[in-house]
Amino acid sequence: MARSGDLHFHRFPQSKSVDAVRWLSPLSAFDRFVAAAVHDTDAASSSLEIHSLTVDAADPNSPLFDLRSSWSSPSRISSLRSSQTPHKHLVAAASTLAGSLHLLFVDPVDGSIDSELSIADDRSLHAGPISAVDLQAGGQACVSVGEDGRVNLVTVGESRLDHQRVHDSRGLVSYMAARWASPAEFATGGLGFGVQWWDQRKPGGLVSQFKGNWARGSLTGIVHSIDIHPSRKHICVVGGSSGTVFAWDLRLQQQPILLSGVSLNETTQPISESDVWEVQYDSYTHSSNINSAPSTRILPIMMCSEDGILAVLEQGEEPIELLAENCAINAFDIDPQNPSDVICGLEWESIGILTRSRETMVRY
Amino acid sequence: MPGLASDPGDSLVPFLPDVRDPVVYPVRHGVNPPIFRVYVSWTRGNFLQVACLRPPAAEPAGGEEDGVSDEEIGGKVVEVKLGAGDEEISEAQRRRIAYGSVPAFALLQSRKNSLAAMSRMSASSIRTEWWEHVLEYSRHISDLLGNPMLPSSTVIEDPKMIMQPHEEPTTLKAAWQLMEIFYVDKLSSTWLPERLVDWLADYDSLLTETTIHSKVEGLQKRLSSLKVVVEDDPEYWEGMSGALAAGWLDAVVKLLRLHGSYQLEQLGSRETENGLVEAVAVLVSTMPRMRPHLPAGRLGQCYKTKPDFIKAWEKWRLHISRLDSSTFWVQCSHHQTREGLRNLLQIMLGNISNLRAATCHWMELFISHFLYIRPLTMGLDEFHSLAQKCMQLKSSSSSNGLMGLFIGILGENPEVVLAECSKTLGPWMVAHAMELLTVDNGHADILLHEERYSLGDISIEELHRLVYAQVLSSHPLTWQIAPTYLASCPKQGLGLLEILLYKQPVQHYQMILKNLEICRLYELENISSSIMKIAGTYHWKHGRKGSGVYWLQQARDEVRLNKIAQQLFECIGKSISDDSFKQWEGLIELLGSQVGTAGGLEFLHKYRDFKRSLQQVQDGSPVDAARQTMESLMQLMKNSSTPQRFWLPLLHDSVKLLNWKAQPLLTVSETNLLLNKLQELSMVKLHPDFCESNLPPQALSSVRLALATNLGRAVLEEC
Amino acid sequence: MSAHQTSTMEKEVATLEKGALCCSWNYCGQRLAVGFVDGSVSIHDNLDSASSCSSKWKAHASSINNIVWLPPEFGDAIACISADGSMSLWEEVEDDTQPLKWKMCKLFESSNVTVLDLQFGVYSTSLKMVVAYSDGHVKVYELLDPLELNKWQLQAEFQNVIDSVLRFGKPSCAKASIAWNPRRGESQQSSFVLGFNSDLPQFNSSKIWEFEEDHQRWLPVAELALPGDKGDRVHAVAWAPNIGRPYEVIAVATCKGIAIWHVGLNPESDGRLSTEKVALLSGHDGEVWQLEWDVSGLTLASTGADGMVRLWQSNVNGVWHEEAALECNGMQQ
Repeated sequence: MARSGDLHFHRFPQSKSVDAVRWLSPLSAFDRFVAAAVHDTDAASSSLEIHSLTVDAADPNSPLFDLRSSWSSPSRISSLRSSQTPHKHLVAAASTLAGSLHLLFVDPVDGSIDSELSIADDRSLHAGPISAVDLQAGGQACVSVGEDGRVNLVTVGESRLDHQRVHDSRGLVSYMAARWASPAEFATGGLGFGVQWWDQRKPGGLVSQFKGNWARGSLTGIVHSIDIHPSRKHICVVGGSSGTVFAWDLRLQQQPILLSGVSLNETTQPISESDVWEVQYDSYTHSSNINSAPSTRILPIMMCSEDGILAVLEQGEEPIELLAENCAINAFDIDPQNPSDVICGLEWESIGILTRSRETMVRY
Repeated sequence: MPGLASDPGDSLVPFLPDVRDPVVYPVRHGVNPPIFRVYVSWTRGNFLQVACLRPPAAEPAGGEEDGVSDEEIGGKVVEVKLGAGDEEISEAQRRRIAYGSVPAFALLQSRKNSLAAMSRMSASSIRTEWWEHVLEYSRHISDLLGNPMLPSSTVIEDPKMIMQPHEEPTTLKAAWQLMEIFYVDKLSSTWLPERLVDWLADYDSLLTETTIHSKVEGLQKRLSSLKVVVEDDPEYWEGMSGALAAGWLDAVVKLLRLHGSYQLEQLGSRETENGLVEAVAVLVSTMPRMRPHLPAGRLGQCYKTKPDFIKAWEKWRLHISRLDSSTFWVQCSHHQTREGLRNLLQIMLGNISNLRAATCHWMELFISHFLYIRPLTMGLDEFHSLAQKCMQLKSSSSSNGLMGLFIGILGENPEVVLAECSKTLGPWMVAHAMELLTVDNGHADILLHEERYSLGDISIEELHRLVYAQVLSSHPLTWQIAPTYLASCPKQGLGLLEILLYKQPVQHYQMILKNLEICRLYELENISSSIMKIAGTYHWKHGRKGSGVYWLQQARDEVRLNKIAQQLFECIGKSISDDSFKQWEGLIELLGSQVGTAGGLEFLHKYRDFKRSLQQVQDGSPVDAARQTMESLMQLMKNSSTPQRFWLPLLHDSVKLLNWKAQPLLTVSETNLLLNKLQELSMVKLHPDFCESNLPPQALSSVRLALATNLGRAVLEEC
Repeated sequence: MSAHQTSTMEKEVATLEKGALCCSWNYCGQRLAVGFVDGSVSIHDNLDSASSCSSKWKAHASSINNIVWLPPEFGDAIACISADGSMSLWEEVEDDTQPLKWKMCKLFESSNVTVLDLQFGVYSTSLKMVVAYSDGHVKVYELLDPLELNKWQLQAEFQNVIDSVLRFGKPSCAKASIAWNPRRGESQQSSFVLGFNSDLPQFNSSKIWEFEEDHQRWLPVAELALPGDKGDRVHAVAWAPNIGRPYEVIAVATCKGIAIWHVGLNPESDGRLSTEKVALLSGHDGEVWQLEWDVSGLTLASTGADGMVRLWQSNVNGVWHEEAALECNGMQQ
């Protein structure tokens, strides 16, 4: 296994379940904000909390983490995304298990929540839990998907949210992940490792479908997370059950590129055999042969798993294990402005900050 | 007599008096009496839900709506948490401790297992290695319970700061430390009395309401708020004598230096007095201590070996006696100073009545014995008899769980230790402290590991782990760490884990996956298939047919999937004519993706093609559609994944095509194949498991006739 | 020594409407079904957020005396026993043609006898329902299709007496208590314990019935009563979960108190199971209403006419005692 470089990891106990974490893109390098979806099981209350994070470069072992504001959610938050609006607001989109969708506009200077737009108690959006939401760059539109089999497009208006149904499979298919590829295209994923590619400009929306029956064995699973790189829109990287991380190149229709998982190779031990909850392109880890990388090559991917692994995967290389925690890492987010820093939501009621130092990320 | 067992049974082992009067707790449910019925259910772990119902109205509530008053409720349901324990530690902190102790516990268990597997090593080296592992474990848990001492370097030296600011000490940590001192920390066994002095310095405040600690704390508050002449204040001398009796030498010296005679303007008039104060301060700070080292800031002189110590101690006492009998005291005009200082000297000389007066609790008196009377006390029996004596001298001291634990340790009575841990500190403490108790104690080892029939053939150790796991399972967040403890139970752990897993809710797929991960780790295939069946049925019945089928496929539940196939078969048959068929496409994709026999439902896909072309035939399309249909039929009939029970409906659908006017659509060999299938079917029909489809009774014979017709025509065609 | 030591915290979970008569929790304790005097049933859900009443409907013309949840493998479904002697099965379903609702799957009409109690047991994928009637008869039904709760087949019918050859009079039973052996697994034989509260002594004592595969019949394999106590009217029975004990533990409440029985796992040469009464616990003044074991089978909770919830445990020497009690009668605000 490849070794990771110099890492600093700090845990902040929250005394609440941390269900999702996102960086909120900051205006200045000094104040960085983190949005965390938390759930207090004892009080049966859920909220979205905005924290400020200060990491002193001289003393990376003791970062400061302060609660700036909190918004109480009507139900447990199932998915969280963030973006920046043209008006310099930070925006967080949260979906809930009760099927409601909320957009929160956060002041970029003091981290307070300025306004909120919601769709709640409206069964025409979703019947039952929303499993995933994704916010377009610029925060103008959201896509939401659910186990009810609906794919919805939510547009952000001046003072309200409008939604329009792209597809309704009436519960015959369930969706668990969604990710924008471009202002018009997005990908969804769900049961049986299925991935779907949608284009709003096309009638019906569905453009291409990737069937999950590539695994020769009896292995199948659920897609938990999808990421699409802005420079390689034709490739979806997908994380799901049984430690599976694969890439689907739309140009190579039904042949996935397996990056990790139990079915990859019988002889080598995959980095994880349990659910991969989230995948994200890791712009911090430089591909070992970046210059020669053709457009089919998959850029480095970060993943987190139920068995507490945070690792970077690269096609054809040994994985780099960044963390091996005693509890599940349920979510993570790489700071888009400062990609050496990763925030994690840990099963044992804490938020973790991982800082990677610049010099030492080399392969041994 | 309420609550008494009528069959006491013969107690073979003299055990703690466990049979005591039950504690009665009122349930605050807010329902006005009378209560008509009470229903209970264990919901999660040790949560008990209690429903209290009022008597229903005599006339059935049918019609008029009354105004809502208090009497209008029929009852309330409350959830009672049993074993809530003390309030010293918040629930969130308790969970934090629970999380933090998992890795240490798991590591220790795996080390235990690997040591047990190593038979080559000598018993003594295994014991040494094991002891080191337990010490590491104990230190880890101890750190987790909080650090009572802040690093002294961060505190700015303040002459009036008599005691370093402490984090609030907890009984949990105090108890853990005690057990570590006595059971695990062998290296310090040569200076055990001094270890106890240190322990008291940290946890004196936990003993009772009024302690030396509370007095010194009170004194410190007085000193910082009041501008008084300290030496006139009796509390000054009282606090100082207490601090000295408990061995807090740095505090004593600091207090002495606050004496008025140190003030610059006093120098002329109170020289002797000041000299005496300083002499006492010097004696206090040079007290010989039988210990290898002292933490920074603590006073005294350390001696590692007994002879050196005895020599120094006797010399030191000689100095004290000399000072005590010196003539300077006559020249000391300040009465309180003279009496106060001489009291301190008597304390240092080990005068029992002075020590008794200076201490509040018997434990403090006990500790003072180690400092000033019997610094070389060794052996638990000596400790124990000394403790008994101090308890008699300070009979008014209240007793608490911590003291009970201490007496249990001194009395070498692991039953009492366990009982006190369980009673005052709760299941977490018992489950984790058992490792300390047995590290070097054969008696405790037997007591804890002996399997008992009355417990269902498990040991006390296993029982306490089961109990702790049950507490963990009460909370949805800590439930996931319960398996670690259950896995360390050799007999009943996995049995309990299966039940706990079965009782987890299945609404959210992430929760299901987390529970299935536990099943995977502990190889509980049966329970994982039960969970998936429950989830599958739940989603199937709640409008999410895709999720339902997915989970049932994962469970390899052939019975349910076959029933679903039947339903889908009928649905597809019906919906083929309208657009709603498109809806099924995704589901059919999903069904087909499963490899293997269970749920291999991809034939439905071909069935759809068949039905579609059949539709075209019925709509009057040309012969091509008819041929197409027959091709699909042949594919379906040849495919082994097409369940036998669908053969007849398929053939029956095709009767019209078999009788196709223009030409026979099937070849001789194809027709023969179908005839064979029909033959097979009529054999099966005699089988008791055969289940009749909803076809008309003459279906079989009409298919038989149509096939014969087609065969005849095909034979003619092919001649 | 137990997980259930002191009780200091309580939290209100649900408020029930006027006329509530009985309640029953589902397998994970998140859903509560309540039966009412006017024949209606309500469901309370206690999910991630606060508890709420998700539905209420009229199930029977007369009052609901008892509600039993089906095992979760068969969906969210309940059986309701009505005071008029009939019983019905209901399940919660939703699909794209109709919103979420509770639908009746099956109605068992009352005849001249009434249903007193019923319980469900799962054995190697099949669901069995045992129903006890006011005439001392027991019927065992089997579900034919695991996804359709309306197809039941009568598998056996017998009386709760040891010697089936002897003729008894017709008893009049006021109450019956059934508990299935909670152990799940392919190899396990189906068995349950049943006791009556009737005017004919032979029917009363709790007997363990086991299904004999070879002859496809139910046989009594143990009787949980000492010779002098056989006629005692049974108020409640509860079969403890067995997570690995070499014997089963069953609690039986009669007018004399709560008896704790150890029952052997394997039949002896005469085909009967060995039984031993290890404790008789008295505490409730009057009738015991309900017995409920916790998940580990270490603690028994009982409720009774004295308005108390009592918690019973065995110490390490096997001596049973009352560990704690919850007082529900108090006048509190």
